[in-house]
Amino acid sequence: MSQINTQRRQFLKIATAMTATVMACSSMQVMAGVLTNEKKMDSTEQAVFKKMLAIALPTEGSTLVDPATLPVIATIEGALLAGMPAHIRKGLNQGIHYFNQSAEKNYGKPFTHLSDAQATEFVDAWSDSHVAPHRALSMGIKKLTVLAYWAIPTTWAPLGYDGPVSEKWGLKKRGVTPEPQA
Amino acid sequence: MSTNKNELNVKTAADISAAQLNLAADVVIIGSGAGGGINAYELAKTGKKVIVLEAGPYVPSEKFPEMLAASMGMMYEGEGGQSNTDGDITVLQGRCVGGSTVVNAALCFRTPDYYLKKWGKEYGLTNLTPEVMLPYFEKVENNLGISEVKAHETSVGAEYIKKGMKALDIPLGLARRNIRDCAMTGFCFAGCKTDRKQSMAVTYLPWACNHGAEIYADTRVTKINTANGIASGVEAEVVDQATGNVKTRLSVKASIVVLAAGPTGSPLLLQNSGICNSSGQVGKNFACHPSLSVTAMFDKKLNDFHGATHSLFEDSHTLPEQGGWIQLNAVQEPVEASFMAEPGTGKPYVRYMQNYPNSTRLITLIHDKNVGEVTLENGYKEIRYQVDDEDFEAMKKGLKDNARILFAAGASYLYLPTSDKTRINSVDDIDKVIDELKNEPARYRYTSFHPQGTCRMGADKTKTVVNPYGETHDVKNLYIVDASLLPTSIGYNPSETVYALASYIADQINSANPS
Repeated sequence: MSQINTQRRQFLKIATAMTATVMACSSMQVMAGVLTNEKKMDSTEQAVFKKMLAIALPTEGSTLVDPATLPVIATIEGALLAGMPAHIRKGLNQGIHYFNQSAEKNYGKPFTHLSDAQATEFVDAWSDSHVAPHRALSMGIKKLTVLAYWAIPTTWAPLGYDGPVSEKWGLKKRGVTPEPQA
Repeated sequence: MSTNKNELNVKTAADISAAQLNLAADVVIIGSGAGGGINAYELAKTGKKVIVLEAGPYVPSEKFPEMLAASMGMMYEGEGGQSNTDGDITVLQGRCVGGSTVVNAALCFRTPDYYLKKWGKEYGLTNLTPEVMLPYFEKVENNLGISEVKAHETSVGAEYIKKGMKALDIPLGLARRNIRDCAMTGFCFAGCKTDRKQSMAVTYLPWACNHGAEIYADTRVTKINTANGIASGVEAEVVDQATGNVKTRLSVKASIVVLAAGPTGSPLLLQNSGICNSSGQVGKNFACHPSLSVTAMFDKKLNDFHGATHSLFEDSHTLPEQGGWIQLNAVQEPVEASFMAEPGTGKPYVRYMQNYPNSTRLITLIHDKNVGEVTLENGYKEIRYQVDDEDFEAMKKGLKDNARILFAAGASYLYLPTSDKTRINSVDDIDKVIDELKNEPARYRYTSFHPQGTCRMGADKTKTVVNPYGETHDVKNLYIVDASLLPTSIGYNPSETVYALASYIADQINSANPS
């Protein structure tokens, strides 16, 4: 039991890393961290994110920008992983591998080798799993992927969203409010 | 005597080349947010030499990107990634010169008399009566331009929600905000690029500099020094934000130390310093006002992209006996909308985002019990907090009210912020869907903007960290002036409570230490 609890705790922490760090993801223009070799995705991580991107944003037939034309994977790596503390980055790597391998139980192959329909089914099932780390990993990896897509400003035009406006609207800075006088 | 220059006097890591810097002042203030900024001014104004140390960077407002994701990387604690241990509550705090006041929603509520009386009765804070606090509320309201939204300060979504509330005969609350001449960009959470929001960076901090205060950004305090039970200064590190490397060791000798590092930073600094914990309460009693955002889909485009970030609230159930929740409207940019609902993977998600222009949202925020703890584990910050079962039931009741308002506003269907596909298709489905929700970790997409309570204030030194006048029970001349003071959560945005309490404590410091 204690081993299960330890394992559960470990994956909860991984899930924490997933959900907690995706909010830091931003557009390529604001990358701050240095992408060291330790922070780069390994081949499994690359494949997991590519598969998730393919099934999360099947834009054909819609007005949305085709994710294949955008640097989404590079955004995940450069804008998120680069700035991630080493211990969280390590946990994230373990979580993604666990997520990928876990598909073998029901499908006999890893997540990255599933058909799009199977992969979609797997992700939706984990999102509603009775196991909290499954929910967290499914929600976290997908959140990370779609966030990286929408953080790229060229994705906004089909929505009609115009982004930053202060300069566009010609707003003047108000500056510092004068100190109250006695 | 004021110079009336009204300019920030900030040094950053780039301005400092020495390996060691030794400074002296009357007062050193740790943190430049609401509590730190107000104390910097109120203490400097009486002639005290004040040094403010801010762990985060100095980001001039012209560099605010008006993109939430980018702003989080620049100006939020943990680059916006701070969360509880389970990772299902994002705990947002500012980390820059001006602190959370730069990136908050600017919503202001006076502390309800209910809590001031409760704190007097249960925590011995009989000095903080409504009558005593009134002039402090009035003072900060005047200084920060806190006023009710004007008729035009609204948003498309708010107008729909207003119709829903009127249809249900729900009393409408008009937001009071510390904003002057709101430009209605909707980017409060990304920082106000044109300085309309009256953050500390455009008010109290430059006013403090008029009286000689100096601000050091990029400067992380590592230890509070004491001698014979009396505060004597701090040790700090000036950090190159680009590399994370320590550039300069900095020491400040000061006879008064004011701690305003926020409800996660302040208890950790006390723990690191090995002080002020005779009660065992440092880091305990964490609360955070968890909130859930319900996304309403309409059958037409709303384009609720800009406007007043918040303009409406509904607080008829906000006190604990009334239920313990409040509803707040808010505009939402697509990056945030992209993960606030789970319509299903693939085509359902694409349809959801294509319909983003047809959406608006209403947030339910709960008064929560102080059941969490902030601590260090293997050298890393841990926020151990799970939503209490009773609080979750309050959240469910609040979500039901939220859903009714959104349907009355004309919504076709709603998404709840769950990990799974939870959608409410009609008014008749509200109770059934929400009654089935269970309080489980990693099931909901919570956000908290209001961490609080980790160094609580009270008369009993065996149960609290700070005395009724803001000074720690254990270390003389060490004061705490941030939201960690709050003995209980208050159910409302706590910024004005912190502004007023910080002003009150500044008066106590000045009385005890005349210049």
